[in-house]
Amino acid sequence: MPEMIVKPATLKELWKILPALPPARRYLAGGTDIVVACNGGCESSECWMDISDIPELKTIKETASSLFLGAAVKISDLERSAAVRKWCPALIAAIPYYASPSLRNMATLGGNAGNGSPCADGVCALVAEGASVLLELKGKKRRLPLKDLFLGPKKTALKKDELILGFEVPKRARLGAYQKLSARPYFCISKAAVAVTLEISGGVIKRAGIALGSVAPVPLYAAKTAAWLAGKKLSAVTAAAAAGIVKAEAAPITDARSEADYRREMCGVLLERALVSLVPLAGR
Amino acid sequence: MEKLSYVGKSLPRKDALIKAVGAAQYAGDREFAGMLHAAAVRSPRPRIKILSISDTAARRVPGYVTLVTYKDIKGVNKWPVVLQDYPFLPEKESRFAGETIALVVAQTARAAKKAAALVEVKYKELPFLEEPLKALEKDAVKIYGDDNVFSSFVIKKGSVDEAFKKAAFTAEGEFSTNYQVHAYLETQGAIALPESDGGMTVHSTTQCPFYVLDAVAAALSLPYHKVKILQTVTGGGFGGKEDVPALVASHAALCAAKTGRPVKLIYGRKEDFQSMSKRHPGWARVAYAADKNGKLTACRVKYVLDGGAYSTLSPIVLWRGTVHAAGPYKIANVDIKTYAAATNKVPCGAFRGFGQPQICFAQESLIDELAEKVGMDPVQFRLKNLLEPGDRTVTGQKLNSSCGLKEIVQAVRKKSGWDKKIKDRRSKPEDRGDVATGIGFSAVYYGVGLGAKGRYLDRAGAFVNIYKDSSVGVNVGNAEMGQGALTVLAQIAAETLNAPYESVKVEEVDSSKVPDSGPTVASRTTLMSGNAIIEAATPIRERIFKTAFDLLTAMGAGASQKMTACGGLFSMGGKSIDFKKVVAECWFRRLKMSEQGWYAAPRTTFKMEDGQGDAYVIYSYSADAAEVEVDLKTGAVKVIKIWAAYDVGKIVNPRLAVGQAQGGILQGMSWAVFENLTYRNGIMVNPNFTDYVLATTADKPEYDITFIEKPYAEGPYKAKGLGEIPLIGVAPAVANAIKNACGARVRSVPLLPEKIWKALKVG
Repeated sequence: MPEMIVKPATLKELWKILPALPPARRYLAGGTDIVVACNGGCESSECWMDISDIPELKTIKETASSLFLGAAVKISDLERSAAVRKWCPALIAAIPYYASPSLRNMATLGGNAGNGSPCADGVCALVAEGASVLLELKGKKRRLPLKDLFLGPKKTALKKDELILGFEVPKRARLGAYQKLSARPYFCISKAAVAVTLEISGGVIKRAGIALGSVAPVPLYAAKTAAWLAGKKLSAVTAAAAAGIVKAEAAPITDARSEADYRREMCGVLLERALVSLVPLAGR
Repeated sequence: MEKLSYVGKSLPRKDALIKAVGAAQYAGDREFAGMLHAAAVRSPRPRIKILSISDTAARRVPGYVTLVTYKDIKGVNKWPVVLQDYPFLPEKESRFAGETIALVVAQTARAAKKAAALVEVKYKELPFLEEPLKALEKDAVKIYGDDNVFSSFVIKKGSVDEAFKKAAFTAEGEFSTNYQVHAYLETQGAIALPESDGGMTVHSTTQCPFYVLDAVAAALSLPYHKVKILQTVTGGGFGGKEDVPALVASHAALCAAKTGRPVKLIYGRKEDFQSMSKRHPGWARVAYAADKNGKLTACRVKYVLDGGAYSTLSPIVLWRGTVHAAGPYKIANVDIKTYAAATNKVPCGAFRGFGQPQICFAQESLIDELAEKVGMDPVQFRLKNLLEPGDRTVTGQKLNSSCGLKEIVQAVRKKSGWDKKIKDRRSKPEDRGDVATGIGFSAVYYGVGLGAKGRYLDRAGAFVNIYKDSSVGVNVGNAEMGQGALTVLAQIAAETLNAPYESVKVEEVDSSKVPDSGPTVASRTTLMSGNAIIEAATPIRERIFKTAFDLLTAMGAGASQKMTACGGLFSMGGKSIDFKKVVAECWFRRLKMSEQGWYAAPRTTFKMEDGQGDAYVIYSYSADAAEVEVDLKTGAVKVIKIWAAYDVGKIVNPRLAVGQAQGGILQGMSWAVFENLTYRNGIMVNPNFTDYVLATTADKPEYDITFIEKPYAEGPYKAKGLGEIPLIGVAPAVANAIKNACGARVRSVPLLPEKIWKALKVG
């Protein structure tokens, strides 16, 4: 643990106290990554800024065209939200694979994104949902497509002290699925994961969102596969063909968790299974 | 046999309540006035020459007290284990990444950790060894002796070359297995308290308090009677708290001796991974030969264990693996050669099964391959070759009547529906899309106790003391570590004395109350401490029974009738009297109500030249059938059900026995399919539970467990030993089931999806 943990009550207070804080500082939301890193000796900030109770970051809000998910909303609160259930089908499908029930009671999407890991289940799902991320630094706001937040393993486009406020997901009716392969089927970091959203009309895919976890330096938006799917009829045949395309888009490595060629192949298997799982829902 | 009151009953665990409500005091929970905290300074690289150690920066941490190095060791700087190559603290050279080089003592644990990170070790890197097979090559860098071999054994019998020449069928294969981490809930830790007479008392989480005693006395150069080891409630061991707690406790004791104050040293999980013992990775080339009728005629084995940087228990682990390397079969011609190799990685030691699971995976996988070549069902093939009472093992030992191997194999065959499942799968492979189901088998024997190689340690003491109020205190030298020893031993004491079970308390080990009873390992506690308790309790029992008889007679019971004793009550001729009243009378008569007991295992033998002899006093047996589902696209395996049967002699507590069996199966399954500790360039890659994945209860297969109790005449109430055997045969049964399901023969543990996927791709 660092020598100092501060807990501002509002965003305004955060920006006010920030200049006086020790320079080696990090945000603390759920703590499920940073505390573990600290215990493992991989985190040595002098100060943590606990943003877990800042009201602006704790809301789930609907507007006419989008759904706002606050960066500090607990994953388990997302899971229970009717709006999230309605508008974020891939995220809802991913949550059972997200860490463990106890960790979901602490973890947040903001932390999931800010950590910059290519295996973040929540982020991978949100990328497939076509989410944007809202950022703020000392009162200055900006917005990025979520997929563009990630620059490499543990590297993000976040500037020093820039804070993730939350995520905006477009309110468009779609189907969603999440398939994950990991050493243990639950409570485990993925070897490969695939998030899929499909907007369907008359059995035909109007728009697809495909994101891949753990098979590239970043949570990867599979743009080519998504583009190829648009206009196709959703079927087992389409799913098999898409599997072939997505394998070429993945850029996996071999590490302690799995092997590159296996991961590439699994992207295809998981995408095919995800798409096939949506076939029965497409007619509704 | 007379009717038993307590033995054979599922009585409640003595320690269930304190553990369930969180009241149990583990080492980390204990506090003492003036207590300081220690933290280890660890080697960052696989092999270094230490040039200097400086605490200049560490001194600036508030609360810093002192640095402890090898210079503070008053005794000989050699940790007494088997070969004595491991220094308490290294002087010139450190041999694996994570090895403790020095210790920092501070006012708080946090300050100690912070200061330890600031201790500057100047070093020069030395060439290191990572692969055990490469370590055995002639031109390898030498880190132990002139061949990097800690230990080597042979078993030779008959004419193996000739048997292979004559064989109608042979099978040969190379197999490997990876590390296993004990993953006990409670990490290693100890608290050392300096005594006013210059002695040292140590609270230690350990399976082997007497190993801790040896080490602390050696490190501090103290006579044993000035050192006292108190075992704390121990949160899991599995072999991981056999040898290394002695090192941890010695470090705490060195810090306490230097500062003159109590010092607590509790390991974090990462350093526990990096520096504490593990199951050895194993490599084996095995070959079997059979005649045209499917009778095994020969077995050839080369078996290598990756010992790590220091020998610790490798010689003994290797020896057990050697004795059991050919499997539980009648084989006339045997050639087994085994080696424990030195590498610059974490030293490996004891882990449930102790050198057997690695070689069992190899030979039981290969038995299936040979059965297939012979054209026989794998269970039929085993039944044709399994050991029976009167047969001789590969070491030439003749088995006595306590051998139910064939019966347990038949039990598992029947309960699992083996014959039908195999037949159905052959005739009509079911179409279940991407999922294939399969079933696999294994059979195991396990020498109970330390055997010939550890026979000088194979004795145990007990102290039984009946207080004036009739409550019974029992001290033993073997430890409760979660396996249920306190409960099972209390049942044995209660049974022998006819004392109510509730009135008996077996205590955690205090090294000053009982003589050195050897380690709590090798499934030996029920057998060894149980027999020692019976020896201690028997003379007291005679006094109690005589007194009860006198009292009942005085109450008017006819002396011609036989007195019975059951459940704490003595009865004769319609009159009864309870244990409490009888004990009060014993005390009134000034009878001796306390006794020491001692049990030494019967003689065992092992000739180093050819490996022949009576290796163990008795064997336990197991058979497993595993049913699995394999995802043909991903290679992912799910173990659906395990049918297991055991002959471990008389079952003292059926509920605890089932618990041991289930736990062993799950731990074996976890090793078989999940656990994958990896090194890269001499550095452990995944020393944490995020990336070192193990099974949880959510992965548990369905269990079907059967005990066939073949009485062992020498055992306490005819019991043998159970702790380890349930783990051993799981991995090969699962591997054989995967082969049966999808045709993929995977020869290395863990049986990862990646490996199965590759095997399926190759076809």
